[in-house]
Amino acid sequence: MSQLSTQSDLVAPFLEIKNAQIIYDNAIEAVRDVSLSVAEGTVVALLGSNGAGKSTLLKAVTGTLHLEDGDLEKGSIHFAGRDLARSKTDAIVRDGLVLVPEGRKLFANMTVEENLTMGAHLKSASELRRLKQTVFELFPKLKERRSQTAGYLSGGEQQMVAVGRALMAEPRLLVLDEPSLGLAPLIIDAIYETIALMRRELNMTVFLVEQNATQAMNLADYVYIMENGRIVLDGPAEKMRTNLDVQEYYLGFSSGGEERKSFRDIKHYKRRKRWLS
Amino acid sequence: MTYLLELLSSGLAIGAVYGLIAMSFAIIYKSTGLLNFSQGEMSMIIAYVAWSISTGTDGNPFIVAIGSIGFAILFALAVERIAIRPMMGEPILSQIMVTIGLSVIFRALVTLLWDGLPHNMELAAGNALVDFGGIQVRVAQIAVVVMLFVAIAGMWTFFRYSRFGLAMRAVASDDGTAQLMGVKTGRVQMAAWAASAVMSGTAGVLFAIAFELSPSLYGLGLKAFPATILGGLDSVIGSAFGGLIIGVAENLVGGYISSSLKEIAGFVIIILILMIRPYGLFGEKRIERL
Repeated sequence: MSQLSTQSDLVAPFLEIKNAQIIYDNAIEAVRDVSLSVAEGTVVALLGSNGAGKSTLLKAVTGTLHLEDGDLEKGSIHFAGRDLARSKTDAIVRDGLVLVPEGRKLFANMTVEENLTMGAHLKSASELRRLKQTVFELFPKLKERRSQTAGYLSGGEQQMVAVGRALMAEPRLLVLDEPSLGLAPLIIDAIYETIALMRRELNMTVFLVEQNATQAMNLADYVYIMENGRIVLDGPAEKMRTNLDVQEYYLGFSSGGEERKSFRDIKHYKRRKRWLS
Repeated sequence: MTYLLELLSSGLAIGAVYGLIAMSFAIIYKSTGLLNFSQGEMSMIIAYVAWSISTGTDGNPFIVAIGSIGFAILFALAVERIAIRPMMGEPILSQIMVTIGLSVIFRALVTLLWDGLPHNMELAAGNALVDFGGIQVRVAQIAVVVMLFVAIAGMWTFFRYSRFGLAMRAVASDDGTAQLMGVKTGRVQMAAWAASAVMSGTAGVLFAIAFELSPSLYGLGLKAFPATILGGLDSVIGSAFGGLIIGVAENLVGGYISSSLKEIAGFVIIILILMIRPYGLFGEKRIERL
């Protein structure tokens, strides 16, 4: 994947967001003029801190913006030829765009197996059996715990159920919203290994939204960085990894080298200025 | 002893009526988070329609059963589409106010379309008396208990084994996430309303046969609602047992202590039980990870 220079060089992008502006309650602008694209077979990461507008963008992509009085005022969002701004969530899921929501959002009172069944809600009974087998092969641990109540699993296991549940819908584009949120470092490593595995084994296209920049950047082919509702920087992952600004502000290395540097040491105005240039 | 058995058997019968209506409250609450305060009124309207069908067809029980179930489903879908669907996404309190408004409209409709007088619902099969070792019970009273257990078994199977039942539980647990799986919440809501109308309609019709049909039938809803709370607002099957408990308790208090205490007996039990189990006897405890 290292030969990529920009996303747009590739064949028609799978997911394409053009100049999106999203406004809540007709008053609060959460996303301004954002354009990004995800090509088939790639892993694209969208990084940014709290309140950067990442989750809002994902709500627009999954057709759930209206639930919170949000509106795509300008621009367009297309997935595999479908206009997502005018689509219902079930049609979007049927097309193969599936989200693993932030904070996992399992059905806490249902068993692991019932959670997985829900993931395949739009599939027939025979497809359900086949998909369940595939997911159990990928995550043998879920098979062990199939009849346990999902709400009582550990955080890492819950994340595994959440990813498994999304796979049950046979995604063509898997969208992960902060998969590492609230998990211990070792478990985060395991989650990222799983994503890498799915990409290798199932040749899956992944759109990853994260605050945890290091892991996401190691996995991704292309990286977008969002701040205050805008894309402030984007480029192929290996270029971004060596970009001094990114190293300093997202990966925590000082420009000198290996020495760790706290985020707090960097003056706010300086960050803003650098991004704008 | 006979006296006790009589109190118990009629208590179970009225308890089954409460139970069926309580299940109706619970199924709508569970799948849409809404309390339908017009449940008793819907049950009353269905009973009146059943009465009209029975007087129009010389009381053939099969025609009455099929006709009133069919009407119950259409009626519920119409109410859902006209009054409830447009309120989806509005604050829950406004939605509840709509159901309270509906209840007033339904009560007025009954006196407008029929009349304000009590009637005997003559349905030969239902009025017949059966002798159980000295205790006389009407067929309709037995039927309502049987119907309750059919409903319990049906609901249990439905929620546990059917894909659609699972989807309803998912919507109950987290509707936003259920939508992300492709569940159409509108369809879940329609199914819940139809099922609740069939159950509460059955209760209303059988009550009208066993006792009488009058415009105060809607009061069953007021008695059944506490049964739902007792069983657990989100537990469809628990509500059924809540109804049985309240029906029997009412009768025992009315028979042994004082008939004036009968009406409040159920409510006293509820307060006591909710102090110990705030989510009801069978309600699901929220699982929270810290």
